[in-house]
Amino acid sequence: MLLPGLVLCVLFLIVPFGLMVTISLYQNISPATMVLSGFSFENYIGFFSKGTSYIILANTFGNSLLACLACLLIGYPFAYLLSYSVKNEKVKSYMVSLLIVPFLIDTSIRMIAWIPILGNQGAINQLLLSLHVVQNPLSLLYNVGALQILWLQGYVLFMIFPIYLALNRIDPDLIAAAKVLRASPQNVFYYIVFKLSLPGVICGCIFVFVSTLGDYITPLFIGGGIQTLGLSVSDYANSFAWPYAAALSTMLTGVAIAVLYILLKVVNIKELIYER
Amino acid sequence: MVLLSFKSGSDMSFPIRGFTLDWYIGQPSSYRYGSEWISVFHDTDFWRAFRSSAYVSIAAALLTCFIATTTALALRHRVKGRDLVFYVILLGFVVPGVALGLGMVFLFRFVGWGFTFWTPVIVDVIYAVPFGLVLMMARFEPRLMEYERAASTLKASPWNVIRHVTLPLIVWEVVSAGLFGFVLAWGEVIRTQFVIHGTGVLSTYILSEVGVRALSPKWYAAGTIISMISIVALLLFGWALSRGTTFKK
Repeated sequence: MLLPGLVLCVLFLIVPFGLMVTISLYQNISPATMVLSGFSFENYIGFFSKGTSYIILANTFGNSLLACLACLLIGYPFAYLLSYSVKNEKVKSYMVSLLIVPFLIDTSIRMIAWIPILGNQGAINQLLLSLHVVQNPLSLLYNVGALQILWLQGYVLFMIFPIYLALNRIDPDLIAAAKVLRASPQNVFYYIVFKLSLPGVICGCIFVFVSTLGDYITPLFIGGGIQTLGLSVSDYANSFAWPYAAALSTMLTGVAIAVLYILLKVVNIKELIYER
Repeated sequence: MVLLSFKSGSDMSFPIRGFTLDWYIGQPSSYRYGSEWISVFHDTDFWRAFRSSAYVSIAAALLTCFIATTTALALRHRVKGRDLVFYVILLGFVVPGVALGLGMVFLFRFVGWGFTFWTPVIVDVIYAVPFGLVLMMARFEPRLMEYERAASTLKASPWNVIRHVTLPLIVWEVVSAGLFGFVLAWGEVIRTQFVIHGTGVLSTYILSEVGVRALSPKWYAAGTIISMISIVALLLFGWALSRGTTFKK
């Protein structure tokens, strides 16, 4: 029964990653014949000896972490409301659809949809100008803020879903017991609800973190071309500097796997899905 | 966005004046060139991409169904290496999109295969299977294994157990995993961007067009159509999930 899944993963996941690591350790590759030459670690050494590389790294991880935080701040209350406060099934399904619809809008369309709102002649600027709050239109697009809004819109679902699952698994008797024992609402929330929902929180953070790491399209079109690792990969890949692009994506993948590994050591993600 | 798509005139600003269906079905005008001024209905490239997107997503959905189901069923047993397999499959989602796309380019160049219809399908399946797997494992009927054991104690052949006991009990989870795969494949652009051939699928077509064309309400019309498809797919998904639970209760 395991065979189809394993074949798929080994053939199209492990092998490409192996190739990527291999190619990243060579100096040259001919795109036509895929012949490698010049074994060295120069791609990695070169990356870390450039000053701009550190800006790229800071941009990449700073923005992805910020996205995690933003999604958590918005997503946790939402998931909490969804699993505890809203009892009416109908309201619940409306809330869920409200959440999912932006996720379903095509990535590119989602990006251009913000232009009439945030752009220089966009709705917000028109409003501010007509109220004489500002004299000149604010530039709201093509910066980190716009990038974060787009990411929030696109990936907050990945945060809410696992948190919701985790919250739903908390035994209501525990909360009732704590209340009987006169725990304050804050203590009930922190010691029971929050701590028991941590696997969901971690899971959501991983989802958002790795999704934003791999997204180079939003930084390119809406982030004002803010240099991230993902964007550099695509730049170098498009100019056929494959070994360098391979080195960059090896690092990117390495970081994603490391984050996954560390966080899995902290909480047991499998609690969410195995044995109830 | 939906509002803007019905807007008349070519400037893109609020408040919205005038209502028109021109961006959907209007005739191509004779004095303006470029695909941003052709209505969605008359844009042949759009429909070509639409068709290939539909085929790719349906193929990806079916494959996701099959692989997620077999893997989820196998992972219920406490076999050695279960965690390893689970993590490897999870990698399909964890590996950043650009890296996966680039890796696929390397693999296909190395083996000497060209990019075909199947390349975006494979990429989408790799991405969708972890979701399908987690979804199924979280929602399987808790007593499913007991039922299976009962059936095999009664001397049902393994195939009959699957056919008459397991599958009827999980059918809606299978369907919902497939629909979720469809939704993911329909919208996926980062990974697909690297491995398309021809006009490509819808998401990459729109991306490349809005990158070079002027902004016009046409794109919002296109976006409305594209989103409608995935909203319908998702409504079906929710329906399938709820069927799964009510069926068991």
